[in-house]
Amino acid sequence: MAKSLNTVDVVAPDEVQTLADVGVQIRPDEPQVRAGTYVLRDHLPLCVQTYREGLEMMPIAEALRRYDWLRERYYWKLISPDQDEVTRQVAAEAEPQGYFIWVRQGTRITRPAQAGLFISHEGLSQKLHNVVVLEDDTELHLITGCTTGRAVRSGYHLAVNEAYVGANATLTFTMVHSWGPEVIVRPRAAVAVGDHSHYINNYVSLRPALDIQSNPRTYLNGVRATAKYMTVILGSRGSIIDTGGEVWLNGEDSGAELVHRGVCTGGKMYQRGFLVGNARCRAHVDCAGMLLDPGEDGFIESVPGLRSFHPEAQMSHEASVGKVAPEQVEYLMSRGMEEHEAISMIIRGFLDADIEGLSAELDARIGEIAALAGHGERK
Amino acid sequence: MSSSTGNILEIHDLHVEVEGKELLHGINLAIPEGQVHALMGPNGSGKTSLMMTIMGFSAYKVTRGQIIFDGRDITGLSVTERARLGIAIAQQRPPTIVGVKLRAVLDYIVAHDSISAEEVTQLVRQARVENFLDRDINAGLSGGEIKRAELVQLLATCPRFSMMDEPESGVDLDSLALVGSLVNRLFVRDSCRPVRRRSGLIVTHTGHILKYIEADRAHIMLDGRIGCSGNPHLVLQTIAERGYAECVCCMNEGA
Ligand SMILES: Nc1ncnc2c1ncn2[C@@H]1O[C@H](COP(=O)(O)OP(=O)(O)OP(=O)(O)O)[C@@H](O)[C@H]1O
Ligand SMILES: [Mg+2]
Repeated sequence: MAKSLNTVDVVAPDEVQTLADVGVQIRPDEPQVRAGTYVLRDHLPLCVQTYREGLEMMPIAEALRRYDWLRERYYWKLISPDQDEVTRQVAAEAEPQGYFIWVRQGTRITRPAQAGLFISHEGLSQKLHNVVVLEDDTELHLITGCTTGRAVRSGYHLAVNEAYVGANATLTFTMVHSWGPEVIVRPRAAVAVGDHSHYINNYVSLRPALDIQSNPRTYLNGVRATAKYMTVILGSRGSIIDTGGEVWLNGEDSGAELVHRGVCTGGKMYQRGFLVGNARCRAHVDCAGMLLDPGEDGFIESVPGLRSFHPEAQMSHEASVGKVAPEQVEYLMSRGMEEHEAISMIIRGFLDADIEGLSAELDARIGEIAALAGHGERK
Repeated sequence: MSSSTGNILEIHDLHVEVEGKELLHGINLAIPEGQVHALMGPNGSGKTSLMMTIMGFSAYKVTRGQIIFDGRDITGLSVTERARLGIAIAQQRPPTIVGVKLRAVLDYIVAHDSISAEEVTQLVRQARVENFLDRDINAGLSGGEIKRAELVQLLATCPRFSMMDEPESGVDLDSLALVGSLVNRLFVRDSCRPVRRRSGLIVTHTGHILKYIEADRAHIMLDGRIGCSGNPHLVLQTIAERGYAECVCCMNEGA
């Protein structure tokens, strides 16, 4: 297990708060609530700690030096370095930055591990390459909080994320973003999932950046492999947010469910969900958007899509965009709620609907989005 | 605290339109503090519209006239402000809201009003709404269940002035006793000096609910106007015997 200073000693108090806002908890009793912690400020890994046998977390550069098999089997194997401008820029870094997380065979970890990635300087570019490997018979919940310091308005967050989920394994990846208003965010992610394994992808964006593109691709290669995406986005004036994801159903009897919930208080929002059926499988995409005072040119565009190569691929999609109905708001107001409280409750219901087993972390973030959206409406 | 007139609600020459069409054409109505009035009238005559206007729902636009509550002009107040003054409504057709549970609304009331969580739990049991606490509010409820869910919310907020839009419609005979007792509780005594109950307005077609809650006066609404008013028993009897046609004649004579 990697050892370094206690995380509470190296992260400044205001940064502790910034990280807490995106679900990364730096605190004295951390070993009781987290399985491991990795924090990267700008270009510098601040701390790496693991509290659990069988879980390794370290900077990717160190991992590449230590483990030859990482480069041979995983590094740049799901995503090609010349896929696009983002991958090219990440590949061009002399010393790659980012984390490597490895869960050894048979290790099932119930407490979440966490990675905090934040930008503390105006205009800084983070170019990251993160790799997660779950061997067979493992389980991990990884919370990644990406954010900018309070005063930071602009910056670049470019990331290549590759994750490998072995057989009989479950990876829950919860990504919480909260950005300065002019930050440009480009994660490129791909996940490969083995036999009887599950991948759960949660993405929540609280303070929207100027421009976000996040459409992780999952390859369900294994028999009965499943993927579940939950994307919850709050868009605001001036932002362009293009999120969702793709799932390739390659394994027999694989299954996927993609849910996208967007609240637009301005800006452009694209909700995506694309399924590729290569085997007998079942999958569904559900995009729902709510326009809340979107302004002159704010919009939501829902783009669910299906591509089937197999006659027994059962795939479907639905999409809807609506508004908060005044009679619903006033119904709740007639019980004594303020208008913004009523709107928050309705937005919260809209975001929560059809999601079972929401983690405490996600639940708290969704509550926050609902509260923000409620206040947005009041003008 | 009561207004100088002793009326908790006064409506003067109220004109209301919905989607550009006038539905209420000059309503005048006064309900003294401590009284419960019944409102009757044929389908489409404007009973629901009047109640929704009193509550302040924005689809109902007041184009002329005033609504005075407890001596204060509330015509321009928001729904929230009216609710906080103590006005409440059990709607005839409350909206369903996806993802919002009856429990969440009751929790809100516990957090903001004087009622305790234990008292609400008891209310929930008495009104037999436990089973839909965690379902989307009003979604898929039967007619009788909706009435009970609405009444629980009203009872939890303990309003000074309750409006009930057809509390007995869609309620089977066995459940009527339950709904009746809940309605009755809404108007229990709120003051001893003088002895006085809470006030309200109840829309009823059949008058069944009036077996559980004594009304002081009844009004008949016809085509967006209050046609006549009087003793509830007499009014009910007249309608039962001769229907609303008689009222229409009577009103035309008066005009
Ligand atoms: N939102 C609306 N848009 C258009 N017309 C409306 C709307 N609400 C009510 N109306 C019309 O106004 C008239 C009065 O309706 P209201 O619901 O107040 O009647 P009511 O007396 O409560 O009838 P019922 O006994 O059937 O409940 C009806 O003709 C109805 O169609
Ligand atoms: Mg009606």
